[in-house]
Amino acid sequence: MSDPTTNDARGRSRSDTREERWRNLMRAAQDGDQTAYSILLSEMLPILRAVVGKRWRNRQDIEDIVQDVLLSVHSVRHTYDPGRPFLPWLMTISARRIADAARRVHSRSANETTVEIMPETFAGDETKTFEQVSDDQELVRTALMALPAGQRQAIELMKLQGLSLQEASKQTGKSIASLKVTVHRAMKAMRQALKGEM
Amino acid sequence: METEQLIRSLAREAEPVERLPHPVWRAMAWALLSVAYVALIVVAVGVRPDITEKLQDPRFVIEVGAALLTSVMAAAAAFCAGCPGRPVWERFAPLPFLIVWLASLGEGCWRQWVQIGADGRLKFDLMCFGAIFALSLLPAMLIFAMMRRGAPIAPMSTTGLATLAATALAAAALRLFHPQDVSVMLLVWQFGSVVLLAGVGFFLGDRLLRWTLVEPRSGDG
Repeated sequence: MSDPTTNDARGRSRSDTREERWRNLMRAAQDGDQTAYSILLSEMLPILRAVVGKRWRNRQDIEDIVQDVLLSVHSVRHTYDPGRPFLPWLMTISARRIADAARRVHSRSANETTVEIMPETFAGDETKTFEQVSDDQELVRTALMALPAGQRQAIELMKLQGLSLQEASKQTGKSIASLKVTVHRAMKAMRQALKGEM
Repeated sequence: METEQLIRSLAREAEPVERLPHPVWRAMAWALLSVAYVALIVVAVGVRPDITEKLQDPRFVIEVGAALLTSVMAAAAAFCAGCPGRPVWERFAPLPFLIVWLASLGEGCWRQWVQIGADGRLKFDLMCFGAIFALSLLPAMLIFAMMRRGAPIAPMSTTGLATLAATALAAAALRLFHPQDVSVMLLVWQFGSVVLLAGVGFFLGDRLLRWTLVEPRSGDG
């Protein structure tokens, strides 16, 4: 049987070593060492998952919040003082972001109502047939092809490929404001074209 | 995006960053600029005619000194509150000076009440509130701009303390050019304005300080 005192000391020494190692990695990351930063974030990951997992059960929620914590750490990494311990710095950010996520969920659920029977939102009794779905897709495709090139490209990038406004702006070289207008006009034109067809 | 993929993207885009200076240095920088600004205003408006006499009165010196120290300590505490991992007690650093300030005003109220009585001492005077608000605007804008470099881990405490720093400095400056010495007036209209504005700053914290997340520019390509 192992001596609990020895185990405690070993555990303490392991966490001291990790603390020292993370402190050095973060110092290097602040100086622009990308490898050190990658190692640090990867080593932090299991701990963050465990911390978030204590409060959240859904795997996707855990990953979303962990990603939020990682982005937060990245955004404020200049606030870390290498003369101070690293783990309290990390845990303060994690605790704050977990609390923010809980608040978001709470405020969202305050505006939601749970119902046993979902209200019907369609007038017909039957779902569309395969032919009808196929026809609809063809109509959308035709309406898209009828758009001017700029509008078609904006729809393809943002609605089909799912790019953000910033990403689409970088790819096309257009300003965000101009892209917003283009997408709005394209959607309006497609809506009108589809109305005419149906 | 997968979390491991996000880590690779963040690491790839990690540029060197300029570390945030120690909160005490930041508070000193803010105090230096803000004191210089309010000093200019005091000189421009003109110091009160009895200033030499007042500076020899220990009660006046303690009151103004406590207000000034409340301001500097509140600024340091606000900057500490923007640094993750720092002890929470640091946020209470201005409290002893705030208590001394309040006690000096309370002692003045009691003394004047014993000497003169309560009749007609408290009058409606919005000038103090207006002066403190106007004088503290620029120092408040400066400290809010500086705070944006910190992390919004305690936004309400941070903005509350920052507002306290700016308004306490304005209240101290006001004592140098506004010849108002009735303690109950100082307590209600000057100290009260500082507490009220700091309270407003506290409740606006969540709106004024938010996380600005830097999303990775590229995917895993």
